[in-house]
Amino acid sequence: MDSHAIRVAGLTKRFGPKTAVDAVTLTVGTGSVYGLIGPNGAGKTTTFSMLAGYLRPTEGSVEVLGFAPTAVDALRSRLGVLPQDAILPASDRVGEFLFHMARLQDLPHAKALEAAHTALDDVDGRAWWDQRCGSLSHGMAKRVALAQAFLGQPELVLLDEPTAGLDPRVAWEMRQLIRAKKGSRGGRCTIVISSHNLQELEEICDGAAILDRGRLVASGSMAELTAANEEVRFLVAAGTRRGTDPGKVPLSPIRDLPTVASVDFDDEGLELVVSFKRQEADAETVIGQVLTILLQNRVRISGVTKGRGLEQRVMDLT
Amino acid sequence: MSPFAEVQLVTARELRKSFRSVKGIVLAAVSLAGGAGVAMLFAWLDRVQRENMPAGLDVHDAQEQFFARWYGPNTGKRLADCPYSLWMMLIGTLWLAPLLVALLDFDAVSGELQHRSVRFWTVRVRRSSYMLGKYFGAWISVLVVTFGMNVIVWVATAAVGGLPVSTVLGWGVRFFAVSIPIGAAWCGIATLVGSQVKTPMLSLLFIFATFFGLWLLRVVAGFSQAEWLAYLYPNIYDDFLLSPRAADVAKGLLGTGLIAGLTVAAATAIFERRDV
Repeated sequence: MDSHAIRVAGLTKRFGPKTAVDAVTLTVGTGSVYGLIGPNGAGKTTTFSMLAGYLRPTEGSVEVLGFAPTAVDALRSRLGVLPQDAILPASDRVGEFLFHMARLQDLPHAKALEAAHTALDDVDGRAWWDQRCGSLSHGMAKRVALAQAFLGQPELVLLDEPTAGLDPRVAWEMRQLIRAKKGSRGGRCTIVISSHNLQELEEICDGAAILDRGRLVASGSMAELTAANEEVRFLVAAGTRRGTDPGKVPLSPIRDLPTVASVDFDDEGLELVVSFKRQEADAETVIGQVLTILLQNRVRISGVTKGRGLEQRVMDLT
Repeated sequence: MSPFAEVQLVTARELRKSFRSVKGIVLAAVSLAGGAGVAMLFAWLDRVQRENMPAGLDVHDAQEQFFARWYGPNTGKRLADCPYSLWMMLIGTLWLAPLLVALLDFDAVSGELQHRSVRFWTVRVRRSSYMLGKYFGAWISVLVVTFGMNVIVWVATAAVGGLPVSTVLGWGVRFFAVSIPIGAAWCGIATLVGSQVKTPMLSLLFIFATFFGLWLLRVVAGFSQAEWLAYLYPNIYDDFLLSPRAADVAKGLLGTGLIAGLTVAAATAIFERRDV
């Protein structure tokens, strides 16, 4: 089996004179949860739409599970998609819509019915089976759309803004569902999420691509993107200064640690940034060593993070 | 999954949608009620005409002459004994077909493009199957409604007109059969035009404008050297389809088939290449 669920090479999309996506190249590993990140107009949804076969690339190539996204017959039951702004057919009943979609995935009548019920149960929508899609609230409709994306246990699921517009509780439930689905198909279900919600992506994704103005500005595992495996950050209490006196941040002893590559203290941000040699120690070891020194010097610590955080990384790049 | 199975599933959904939507129910009800009213009128007129026929007038000869002027001598001879009311119903059906097609089909594709619901389908069915399913859905919906109207007319003609049931059914089915390929052509044109825009109201306007344009072409063709233009207008083919000669019927089927086939093929080819 191919170790990559998605291969994109030199992908470009132009709308008239405007280039929405410009020569994007990336791969998504099988079984991973991958994020498409970027500000408005970055080209996330356009890239997503080309992966789903909605839009045709102007240049470049897209391979989804080894096929062009338009190879419907080959991908029919293997690819599930949650389009961001597609409205469910208002006159269809929820159950009949999901059943119809399952039938189009080539499931026989009984299995299609079972798959539709299971998918709706998964999004906690069992009671909506006979309800018309047009009468659903935004959150309910989103969950039904999510149910159709996961219908029949596809190998690859593309989700465009899966939690946009949902209240915090439902959004949390959706994240739990996505996590649970990640483990389906023996852990080989690949999920690609396009979202604005960086906290959510950092929480769910194994890797991501950061887009800005149509270009790919960074991609890799979440640890690589956030530098989680090469730096740790300590936020100290207000008023803390650098120095060797008790209560101050002692930079020299930290710098002298054999695992530490460099140390920097932001006096305004009150943040101590420690870069470490990842071949000699992991983040947890370094956190322990640095914390020991800080506590010995009676420094009051407000927080500890591994890496920069996805949000900071995106701010830096876009 | 075979394309045939895909088309079947999309068509079935389209039919369900057509006859369950408010628009579909209202259209069917209005068509059937209108058809019933007109049918009673036709049947009554037919009977009155026959009862008040001047003595010595041969109805057979009179009808033959009338239809010969309309369709030519061969068809005139064939239609000499047909119930006049059923023929009137055929003409009514042919005039009503474009209206019915436009109203039933205008939002089939454009509505799903506008709301991007089409995206739920394009990852599961070939785009050609989607378009064919939409086309067959529209065609069958129109046929069901017109068939309903025709049945009402048959019943009225038999009951009020006092004609034998076998005569009514024989001619009724023949006349209805004429409207089937012509309806197919109208649906093809509506599918092609309606699928080019993302706004249902624009789709409706463009479909009506196209139908009117085709009617104008037919009128213009009558006054110009380019008589072939008339063959772009589907209703012209009733001349061929009513003829007793097999070659003429074949020409009628070929003409309507070509219009339907080419328009649906064009709609599919464009849809295959477009962004949704």
